[in-house]
This record gives sequence, structure tokens and C-alpha cells, in this order.
Amino acid sequence: RCGAGGGSPVPAADALPPQVLVDDTEDVSLDFGSEEELALRKARIRHPLATFFHLFFRVSAIITYLFCDWFSNSFVACFVTILLLLSFDFWSVKNVTGRLLVGLRWWNQIDEDGKSHWVFEAKRVPTIAASTEAEARIFWLGLIICPVIWTVFLFSTLFSLKLKWLALVIAGISLQTANLYGYIHCKLGGQTSISRVTSRFLVTADAPKRQARRISEDRIEEHGKTTTR
Amino acid sequence: FAGLADVSISEDIPVEGEITVPVGSHSPDEDYSTLDEPVRDTILRDLKAVGKKFVHVMYPKKSSTLLRDWDLWGPLVLCVSLALMLQGGSADSKDDGGPQFAEVFVIIWFGAVVITLNSKLLGGTISFFQSLCVLGYCILPLTVAMLVCRLVLLAGSGTVSFIIRLIVVAAMFGWSTLASTAFLADSQPPNRKALVVYPISLFYFVISWMILTFTPQ
Repeated sequence: RCGAGGGSPVPAADALPPQVLVDDTEDVSLDFGSEEELALRKARIRHPLATFFHLFFRVSAIITYLFCDWFSNSFVACFVTILLLLSFDFWSVKNVTGRLLVGLRWWNQIDEDGKSHWVFEAKRVPTIAASTEAEARIFWLGLIICPVIWTVFLFSTLFSLKLKWLALVIAGISLQTANLYGYIHCKLGGQTSISRVTSRFLVTADAPKRQARRISEDRIEEHGKTTTR
Repeated sequence: FAGLADVSISEDIPVEGEITVPVGSHSPDEDYSTLDEPVRDTILRDLKAVGKKFVHVMYPKKSSTLLRDWDLWGPLVLCVSLALMLQGGSADSKDDGGPQFAEVFVIIWFGAVVITLNSKLLGGTISFFQSLCVLGYCILPLTVAMLVCRLVLLAGSGTVSFIIRLIVVAAMFGWSTLASTAFLADSQPPNRKALVVYPISLFYFVISWMILTFTPQ
């Protein structure tokens, strides 16, 4: 392959990272299967129903909370609806979408002698129907953004003194944060602690930005060279 | 691999990959890997577990297998139905029954959490969520009592109906307390059983009181 971006006529030797052969994060397995397997491998979202339901319950709970006055006058109906949506969301994210979209699962197990321990399971061998990068990104974004939104609701409830919603907001925060914590634990595999990973993430978060800036500056430089010729 | 000895990667090509570390070296794949089961199996399995627990509350026999897979769906359903039935019952409710509904929720869940903390502080061996599960499921007799009370109140609200309601609520209160202590008191050393049974009976007494003093508008 030459001319990675298709734009600059003279790519410099070290300006752009070469387009590597693997352009998404799946393992490359060299069996040339049937047509549907190839189509499945190329699809950006392999579990459309799971992706839809992952976001559906969370987003509907938030929308119902924001616009409950338009739907119904009754506090009880809104409360019960939002609580049921939050519970379905918790169950489906914990049991279904986590294992379909990112191959992770966590649960609590109680031994013979009554001691409880938490099990965090991660899928080791990706299969044909394994998740794609788009699905994983949707999963983690949905998992992280919604508890933040419910925390904002908590503060707005406290400061506007609409305390009858407080129980619901606290329930929402605890259910969604529990899922977030469980999946982060699964992802880390119990090897490093969560605080160490977040500090490493924050320190190296601006490294890609620096590299991107360097690349765009090189491109502008070359373009300037060719037009003045 | 002798020919690869002098292959080198230049500095600015990012080398990345993904290493998945197996979690917990002791889990064999056949028993623990529920990662690949179809969704319908998951739903049915959980529904069956909830149903089995309801049956166990009606006939409380001590079985350790019941306690082992806990879930909070049953308590949620019972709590919501009890709160819905208890709604609109006080004389001075001028708005849409908002605070009373949330009150019932808070009383039930906060009360259950406090009892669980109490039993753990007394040195119980049962885990936090197991205890919440048992306390929540044992609200079932009181929910049945609430249903019966509402039906009796449809017929009339005189002295006779009050006596009927009193008997029904007292019987269900006794059933709830017995069912929950059958599961919970065993996890305590024998000289502490009364210290654990007392908060549980107080908890169910408060709920029975709310049910008995319910008068519809």
C-alpha cells in the first residue's frame, strides 16, 4: 500500500505511521470460511440487538426522569417506571450485554461453608462472533457516561430540594456504579489495582494528542512545499 | 529462528497488542464458564430461581441451597406491590401520594440494611446480600395480608372487618418472622439468637402496623 491518506503526493519516511495490516483489534485467524462468516467478520456491529438494549434501558431511564412531567402527573407511576427500567438495565448489562459485547462477566458465588466471594470472568479465546471495536467502545461509553449523569441528577435534586426523588436517584447511582465497578474489575483481571490504572491513564492521556499534532504539522509543511514549487 | 536475529523495529512504529490474563487460576471452563450460554437460558434460569424462593418462603424448611444463590428481584417486586397497595391511605395526603410511596420503600430497604448490619456485627456468618434477600422474600406473607385487608375493606370498615384484619395481619406477621428466623438465626451462635430475632420481629411489626392502620380515602 502506498499513499496512506490518499492526499499527500510525497509521504515522508517517518511522518505517518504505516497503515498496518490489522486495522481493528481482533486476532487474525487464517481460516477462509463461508460467505456469512466473512460478512460477520467485516460487520462493524455483530450483536445489534445487544447493543441496542445496552443503551435502551439506561437512556430511557434518564429521559423518563428528565421528562416525567410530560408523560404523567403521577409521581408513583414515574417512580415505578424508572425503577423498573433501572433494574432491567442492571440485569441486562450484568448478564447479557457484558458477555456478548466485551466477553466479560462478574457475579457473586457462595461456597459450601457460607463464605461469599466475587468472581470476575473474562473471555480468553475470541471466536468468530467476538466483539468488534465499535461495540466495545459503545459498551464502555454507555457504562461510564450514565453514572456520571445520575450523579449530576443527585446534586440537582439536593440543591433544588426535590427530595422525594432522592431515593430513586440514589438507587440509580448505586446500580449503575456497581456494574461499572464490576466490569472494570473484570477488565483488569485482578492484576493491578484500579487506582494505579487510572493514574497511569491520566498521565499518558495526552501522548496520542502530541503525536497527532506532530503528524498534522508535517502534513502542512509538505503541502506548503509542493504549492510553492 | 536464526534468520530473525537481526530484525529490528524502528522506534516510531507503535507496537500494540492485547494480552488477556486469565482471571483466577482455579476455575475450570466447563463448570464456571457461563459466558456463552444463550440469553433465553439466562432469563429462564433466573426466573426459576426467583420462583423457587417464593415457594420456600411459603413452606420454610431450612435448606442451605436456597440461601446460596441469592437475588433481589423478589424483594423488589414485593416492595413495589406493597408500596402501591399502601398508597393513598392517610387522611392528610393532599398531593399524589408521593412521599408515602417513597417512605415505604425507604423503610423497607433501610430497615433491612440495618438488620443485616446488626447481624453481621453480632458475628453472623451470613453475607450481606444473602441476608437482604431473605428479609425481602419474607415480606411475602405480609403482602398477602395487605391484599386481604384491601379486599376486606372493600366490604366495609366496621369493627368486624377490623377484627378480621387484625387476625390476618397478626398471623402473617408471625409467619414472616418465623420464616426469616428459620433462615437467619442459624448463622448465629446460640446465645445470640434472641439478639438477632428481636430486630427482625420489630421490622415486620412496623410493616404490619402500616398495613393494619391503612384506611382508604
